[in-house]
Amino acid sequence: MSFIKNLNQESIVLAITVVMFALASLLLPGFFSANNLVAIVRSVSVLGILALGMAMIIIGRGIDLSMVAIMAMSVACYLQMLNSGMGEGSALVLALAGVLAIGLINGVLVAYADVPAIFVTLASSSFVFGFVRSQLINTDAVPVPSGHWVEILGGMRFMSIPVEVFLFAGLALATFLFLRYSKWGRYVYYAGDNPEAARNSGMPVRPMMVLRYVISALIAFIAGILTASSLHSINTRIVNSNLLYDIVLITVIGGIGLSGGKGGVRNVLFGAALIGIMLNAMTIIDIPLLYQNLIKAGILLGAIIVDGILNPRDEQTAQQGDI
Amino acid sequence: MDPIIRMEKITKAYRGVPAIKDVDFELHKGEVHALLGENGAGKSTLTKMMAGVVEPTSGKMFHHGKETVFTNPNEALEAGIAMVFQETSLVPSMTVAQNLYLGSESFLNRLRGTFISAQQFLQSLNFSVDPTALVATLGAAKRQMVEIARAVHHKAEVIIFDEPTATLTPEEKRHFFALIERLKKSGVSIIFISHALEEALQISDRITILRDGELVASDKTENFTRDTVIAAMVGRTLSGELYRDRGESGVRKAGKKVLSVQDISMGAMVRNNSFSVFAGQITGVFGLIGSGRTETFKIISGIYKRDFLRGGTVVLNEKPTRYYVPREAVNDGIVYVTEDRKSEGFFETMSIAENIYAGLIAAGHDKAWYISKNEMSDVAAAWSKKLNIKAINDNARVVELSGGNQQKVVIGKGLVQEPKLVIFDEPTRGVDVGAIAEIHQIINGLADQGLAVVVISSYLPEIMNLSDRILVCRQGRIVEEFSPAEATEEKIMYAAVH
Repeated sequence: MSFIKNLNQESIVLAITVVMFALASLLLPGFFSANNLVAIVRSVSVLGILALGMAMIIIGRGIDLSMVAIMAMSVACYLQMLNSGMGEGSALVLALAGVLAIGLINGVLVAYADVPAIFVTLASSSFVFGFVRSQLINTDAVPVPSGHWVEILGGMRFMSIPVEVFLFAGLALATFLFLRYSKWGRYVYYAGDNPEAARNSGMPVRPMMVLRYVISALIAFIAGILTASSLHSINTRIVNSNLLYDIVLITVIGGIGLSGGKGGVRNVLFGAALIGIMLNAMTIIDIPLLYQNLIKAGILLGAIIVDGILNPRDEQTAQQGDI
Repeated sequence: MDPIIRMEKITKAYRGVPAIKDVDFELHKGEVHALLGENGAGKSTLTKMMAGVVEPTSGKMFHHGKETVFTNPNEALEAGIAMVFQETSLVPSMTVAQNLYLGSESFLNRLRGTFISAQQFLQSLNFSVDPTALVATLGAAKRQMVEIARAVHHKAEVIIFDEPTATLTPEEKRHFFALIERLKKSGVSIIFISHALEEALQISDRITILRDGELVASDKTENFTRDTVIAAMVGRTLSGELYRDRGESGVRKAGKKVLSVQDISMGAMVRNNSFSVFAGQITGVFGLIGSGRTETFKIISGIYKRDFLRGGTVVLNEKPTRYYVPREAVNDGIVYVTEDRKSEGFFETMSIAENIYAGLIAAGHDKAWYISKNEMSDVAAAWSKKLNIKAINDNARVVELSGGNQQKVVIGKGLVQEPKLVIFDEPTRGVDVGAIAEIHQIINGLADQGLAVVVISSYLPEIMNLSDRILVCRQGRIVEEFSPAEATEEKIMYAAVH
């Protein structure tokens, strides 16, 4: 087992990514073209943005299963309000207020009521979806009003690269600076490694936890707006899709340990690159969606097992104190 | 006749550091074998190898003359070797009866039948424990009894007791010794780890003494006296320091009153507890496990997340306070150095530097909102030097350090916050003997600098050696105060138990 431990998950993922990229470029017609590369980056942008939020939560030893529900339902509400004639300002404020409220409730329940994050966010995910779909909107898909800024956003290009790529890059940079160089960012790592020790040292562990769930809700909203801008509508059925697993897949395969305290933005970028290339290659080869899901599930399972081996959290790792 | 267990040149190293070095050991049928040594001498490690909890690095072990290696506790148990652990291994949410029969239940398990047989069994051992009680509701001593009863119930041929009497009252101790006599008569061999010499001399047939992982002496008990045992256990000046007698001259005078506590309470653990702590001296707090000593100071440091039963007042530097999160306490200069460093002390996957820096950036008086790698390495280097923290390299993760170095890292993480009151809870638990003296030096240095220092310990020599005042905690409150001149081990123990 020792040779596995000496290998770094990051370098493994990077190597696989490079090999996959090289193979796809050589073997698949049309893969290594400017258009396709832009398409890859574009397709992973939204996933990557969501993964940034998820990464911040997982590093702090939590998980947010409500991201996709918040993303789809908040934007659906926002567009629905616009479609029914509400003013731009009040619609945006109401939508954002809803997003903040869900993030706050998630955070407070996890941090102060000590409910496991996986159950809190699973419940809030179902609640958000059920409440919005049954009470506030009456169709699965809500279109973007024509001429609205969300629609314009989707058509924006800089140097023929779609705008969401820049947004992903900007958010990644901001997350990187926060986690790496700000004091509050370091708190996330300390709390992820050992929440009790972090609290006893005087770090504001619980307020930080609430903040992280609020940030991830806001990130989900941004990702929702981008999805709506490229598709000109938001389909709430996405909540029942595999999107959530893709987000977890990116974070875990990139090397962010589910046990917390490890990894960073670089891992999200590596994970996003690998998954982006893989999904694109599978689409070009024309593997049916069912098999794509099967392959992704296998990889996720494998990544979690490898994560468990690389980052064990058991008594055996620390017998030192007890002689 | 072959001895039941024979060990030859057995060695166990943790990450290259030997905890047990080339030890030979024999256990014969029907003998009570006392294993003596200071904290960190390797007593627990040696017995854990017999019980299959840890595997030896090298050396041979023979069971009834046949070479054996137990890879897990179950194999050892099947071979008839049971170990009663220091830290109890019971399931708190189950009843006493269920715990007794854990792992040996019949397929169809009638609760009532279990209770009745458990009742009879406990009575036969003279243990007054209610078999229907949940283990979580029991005190430390009763839990210990259940542990012992379980080992006896397994019909073990060898029972290893790790510090069995530390939590028992004198009355319970007498029952326990009687039980050992009876077990011995029925042919059971007993290994008895202790640092209470009198007990060992009184009940054992044979004594083996370890020091720093090496065998120092092993002989029939009648060939030992209290003095020869101590000489073998201590054996050098460093530990002589630990047991030194303090005259009136070595006692620091009380400075300003830093902390004054009136009538604080929390559930059944802390009851109307009142005491004061002064600057410039060390206040030793002695208490058995479950006496509320840790809980009292955790309330003061704001560590409990939910204690609704708060009562009483805490006055810090003439300012009434009540901390609801540790952050407030840290900002006001209270640092609590935990007894359980692994689960609430250090950040195990991080380096020494990151751990010490955590203390600095956590404190509210560090106003910068960004972090600086240079500051981190400077702070870490300064404190590593000051506390003599030794590591193979700078990037070593804290879990890879020895217990003593881990403890120093946790202390450094606290001291970097420039506290006015430092609370050390069991500062030398699981720390190697060499580092104990160093940690005591650090603690003494803090008091000499004029800080208020509290040392909570259940290890009497530590309390006697460090304290300028000794408080004794029992049943959730401070019941007695001694000056070092008048205190003796017997007086302190008496106050803690009665």
